[in-house]
Amino acid sequence: MNKTRASILTLALAGALATAPAWAQNVKVAYLVGITGPIAGMAPTMVQSMKFAAEQVNAQGGIGNGGKIDPQVYDSGCNPQLATDAATKAVNVNGVIGMVGPSCSGPVIAVANSVTVPAGVLLITSSGTSPKISTLDDKDLVFRTVASDDYQGRALARTLKARGTDKVAVTYLNNDYGLGLAEAFSDEFKKLGGTVTASRAHEDKKASYRSDLAELAKGGADTLVVFAYGNSSGLTIVRQALENGFFKNFVGADGMRDENMIKTLGAENLKTFLVSAPAGATGAGFEKFSKDFKAAGGDPNGTFAATSYDAAFLMALAIEKAGGDKAKLSQALREVATAPGEPILPGEWTKAKQLIAEGKDIDYKGAAGDHEFDANGDVPGDYILYKVSGNTFAEIERMK
Amino acid sequence: MLEFINFYIIPGIVIGAIYALGAIGITLIFGILRFGHFAHGDLATTGAYLALGVTTLIGLTPWLSLPVAMILTALLAYGIHRLFYRHLEARPKILTVMASLGIGMMLRSVVQVAWGVDPLAYGSGIARAQSFAGLMLRPREIATLALTLALVATLLAFLRYSKWGKAMRAMSDNPDLARLCGVDNDRVTRLTWFIVGALAAASGFCLGINTELTTMMGWSAMLSMFAAAVLGGVGRVEGAVVGGLVIGLAEELSVLLVPSPYKSATAFVILLAILLLRPQGIFKGKVL
Amino acid sequence: MASIGLINYATFMGTMIGIYGILALGLNVQWGVTGLFNAGIAGFFAVGAYLSALLTAPPSPERIMGWELPVLVGWLGAMAGAALIAWPIGRVCLRFRSDYLAIATIGVAEVIRLVLRTEETLSGGARGITGVPRPFGGLEYSLSQFAYFALVIAVLLMVYWALERQLTAPWGRMMKAIRDNEQAAAAMGKDVERRRLESFVLGAAIMGLAGALYVHFMRAITPEAIDPMIATFLVWIMLILGGSGNNRGAILGAVIIWLIWSMSEFITDQLPADVATQAKYVRVFLIGLMLQLILRFRPEGLLPEESVQRTSHLAPPRS
Repeated sequence: MNKTRASILTLALAGALATAPAWAQNVKVAYLVGITGPIAGMAPTMVQSMKFAAEQVNAQGGIGNGGKIDPQVYDSGCNPQLATDAATKAVNVNGVIGMVGPSCSGPVIAVANSVTVPAGVLLITSSGTSPKISTLDDKDLVFRTVASDDYQGRALARTLKARGTDKVAVTYLNNDYGLGLAEAFSDEFKKLGGTVTASRAHEDKKASYRSDLAELAKGGADTLVVFAYGNSSGLTIVRQALENGFFKNFVGADGMRDENMIKTLGAENLKTFLVSAPAGATGAGFEKFSKDFKAAGGDPNGTFAATSYDAAFLMALAIEKAGGDKAKLSQALREVATAPGEPILPGEWTKAKQLIAEGKDIDYKGAAGDHEFDANGDVPGDYILYKVSGNTFAEIERMK
Repeated sequence: MLEFINFYIIPGIVIGAIYALGAIGITLIFGILRFGHFAHGDLATTGAYLALGVTTLIGLTPWLSLPVAMILTALLAYGIHRLFYRHLEARPKILTVMASLGIGMMLRSVVQVAWGVDPLAYGSGIARAQSFAGLMLRPREIATLALTLALVATLLAFLRYSKWGKAMRAMSDNPDLARLCGVDNDRVTRLTWFIVGALAAASGFCLGINTELTTMMGWSAMLSMFAAAVLGGVGRVEGAVVGGLVIGLAEELSVLLVPSPYKSATAFVILLAILLLRPQGIFKGKVL
Repeated sequence: MASIGLINYATFMGTMIGIYGILALGLNVQWGVTGLFNAGIAGFFAVGAYLSALLTAPPSPERIMGWELPVLVGWLGAMAGAALIAWPIGRVCLRFRSDYLAIATIGVAEVIRLVLRTEETLSGGARGITGVPRPFGGLEYSLSQFAYFALVIAVLLMVYWALERQLTAPWGRMMKAIRDNEQAAAAMGKDVERRRLESFVLGAAIMGLAGALYVHFMRAITPEAIDPMIATFLVWIMLILGGSGNNRGAILGAVIIWLIWSMSEFITDQLPADVATQAKYVRVFLIGLMLQLILRFRPEGLLPEESVQRTSHLAPPRS
C-alpha cells in the first residue's frame, strides 16, 4: 500500500518523468464530495455513481497496461475550508492526478484557486454551477459536466412558453444554483412575452414555506417553478404547496429530478410535475447509463448522479488518452470529450480503450450531455423535459 | 382574512409549538444545569429517527411509536450526561458547552450511519387539509398542538406540585441553598435529563411528521430554539412556550416585510429588541 | 520526491492553523482575558474577509467597490471594518451577561451571514467574490504556498507578541481583574464598561484580520465559508481545549484541533472502500469523540492560564 502510494506520488509529482513501465500501475483519482454538511443528502448518490464509473472501467480492462482506477473518496463538507484541506491531502499526500468534484461552487472556486490549478491537477466538477467558475484563471484545468444554469434556465423558459404556460411564479434556493437558474429563466420567459408574477428566494432547511407560498400565489399564476433540490427545500415546498392547494402545476430543473420526491409524496400527487434535465443530443447516453446504474442498484435520477458519472468516466478516458501523464490530462480531456471522433456511450470502456490504443479519436456522449467543452471548460447542454410516470421519470419532449 | 390565518398564523403556530418543545429542554438545562446545550438539536434529530426506527421495526403507527422513542431518547440523554458531561460538573460550564458541541457531531454521525442521509418520512403521500369553518387544519397539526399542550401542562403541573418538581425549581433558583435544604442534586440532574430527552424526541418527531426527516434538521432548527428559550426568559418553561410561538410566528410573518432569505434573521432581530428592552426575557428569567 | 507532497500538505495545514490561531487569539482577548462570551466569531471573520476582498479584488459589474488596492490596505481595512462593526454591537450587547451575550452575538453573526449571502450588490451574493490577489501568488505552487505560510506565521507572531505585551501591561492586568471580580474593579475606580468594549473591539479586529488572511489564501470568498460550525464553534473548541486565558494555549489549541480535524480523514480512509461514504460520517464521530477525550483528561486545557488563580471562570458573582 505504502509502496504504491510512494511510487504513485512520484509519478504525480514528476508527471513528465512518468515513463512507460510505471504506467502499468494503478492511478489514483480523488472524488471530492460534500458528504457531510449541508448537502449531505445528495452526496451518497454522487459518490455511488462516480465509483460506478470507476468499477466499469476496472471491470473492462482498467487503465493502461493492466492498471486500475483507484478512487479516493474525500469529504468537502460543502465548505471551502474543509474542501481545500481535503484537496491538499488528496493532491499532495495521496498523489491523485485528477479530481472529480468538489460539490458546491464555493469549494470549487477555493480548491481550484489554492490547490489544484497551482498544483497542475485537472479538476472536473459535476455540481458546481456558478458562472464565476467559468471566469477563473484556471490554465485550462477546470471543467464541469454540469451545464451552466444559464442554458438550462433559458431552455426551460422556452419550453414552458411553447407548451402554453404564460404566467408563472418562481421560487429559488438562495445559492448560486437557484439564483443562476431563476435569473436566466425569468429573463428568457419575460422576453418571450410571459409573465413572472413573483420571484422569491428562500433559505434551505426551514420547516415551513407556507407563507412564502401564499406570497407567491398572490399574483394568480397557477404554475410554480421551483429551482431547488428535490431532497431538501424543493421537496418541502412542493409538499406544502400540494397540501395547501397552492398552484396546479410544478416545474423544476435537474435538481428536482429526484426519485425521493416520488417516494415521499406519491406518484399520484405529482401528475402535474415537470422537470428538465440535461441529456445528450440523442438521449442514448442517459438511457444506457440509466439501465446500467439501475442494475447496479443506483438511482440514475438522483440529483447530479448523471453528471457525476460523466465526470468520473471522462476523467478515466482522459487518463487513458494521456497515458497517465498529468501534464497532458486537460488536452486529453478535450480530445476524448469533443467531436469529432467515434462516439462512446457511458460504460463503453472496452471500445474506448481499444480506439485510444489504435490512436483513433473518440467523442464521449455522456449520460448528462455530449460534453462539448467550450473555451472555459463549460458545456452547453441539451435538455429533456420529464414527467412523473410510475415510480420514475419519463421523457416527454426534447427541449430547444 | 381566512387566508392570512390559514397560511401565516396556523403554520407559524405549528412551527412555534415545535420550537417550544425544543426550547423547553434548552431552558431547563440552562436553568438547572446552567449551560447552553448545543447537542439539543441533534438530540431531537436522534429522537425523531428513533421513532422512525420503532415504526419500521415493530410496525407501530408513528404516533404510537413516539412514546417509545421518548423513553429511548430520555435514556440516551441521561447516558450522555453520565458518560460525557458528569465529570465536567465541577469545572467551568464552558467546558460542558464544548463537550455538547462534540456530542452533537457524534449523534449526527450515528444517525447518518444508521439511517443514511436521504430525507425520510413516517409515511408516504401527502395530507390535504380539512376545513373547520374555513380554518384549514391537518390531523397531524392538530395532534402536534395537542401534544405540545399536553406535555407543557403536565410539565408545569409536575414542576409546581410534585416533590421532585419543586426540587428542580429549587435547584434552578439556587443550587447551593437547595443542597443545604436536602435536595439530592444528582437525582434532580438525572430527572432533568430524562425530561429533556423526552421533550427533545417529541420536538424532533413533530418536526419530522410535519415535513420530512433529515439528518441536519435538528441542527438547523436549534438556533431558533435557543432564541426562543432566551426570549422567554432562561429557566422559564412557560417562557419557552411563548418564546417558541413568537419566533415561529415571526418567521412566517416576516415574508410579508422582508425577502424570504431573512426569515431566520427575524428571530434574532426580535430577540435583540426584547433583550434590550427586557434583559431577563418576556417572563422574568434568570440573568446568568 | 515524495516528501515534497508532505511538505506541501504541512504548509497548507500550517497556513490554516495560523489563520485559526489568529482567530483563537482574538477570541482569547474577548473570552480568556475579559470573559466576554462572543459566539459570533464568524460575523467578524466574514466582515474582515469580504472587506479585504472588496478593497483588493478587481471590480465586477454586479457589486460595489473592487478597488484593486494593495493587499496590506485590505488587511488594515479588514481590521478597521471588523472593529467598526464590533463597536456598536459591543455598545448595545455588552450589557448582557455571558449567555445572553452569546445568543446576541450568534444572532448578529447570522444576520451578517444572511446579508452577505443575499445582497448581491454588496458582496456578490451567493456567488461571492473571486479574483482576490494573493501575495506571492505568482510563484510556483510549493513556493507560493510556503511564502504565504511564512507570511501568515509572521502575522500570527506579531499578533501574539503585541497581545503578550498588552496583557502584561497594566491594561491586561486590569482586564483580568475586571473578569475575575467586576465589582471590585469598579469599586477601585476602573471604567469597567469602557474596558470591556475596548477588549471586544480589539478581539473583533484580530478576527477581521484572520478573515483577510483567509480570503487572500483562497483568492475567493463565498458565503459557505462563514458557516457557524467552521468559523465560530471550531474556534471556541480550539481556545477552550488549548487553554483559555493563555495566548500560547490558544495557538496550541488551533494546532491540535486542526490536526485532529484534518488527519482523522487518514484514519477513516483505512476502512474498506465499499463504505467510503459512511467512513466520512465515522470521521465526524471520531472528531467529536476526541474532543470528549481531551475534555476528560485535560479539562483545564492543554496549557492552562498561569499565575493568578481564578475563582470563577464563567459566572460573574451572582447578585
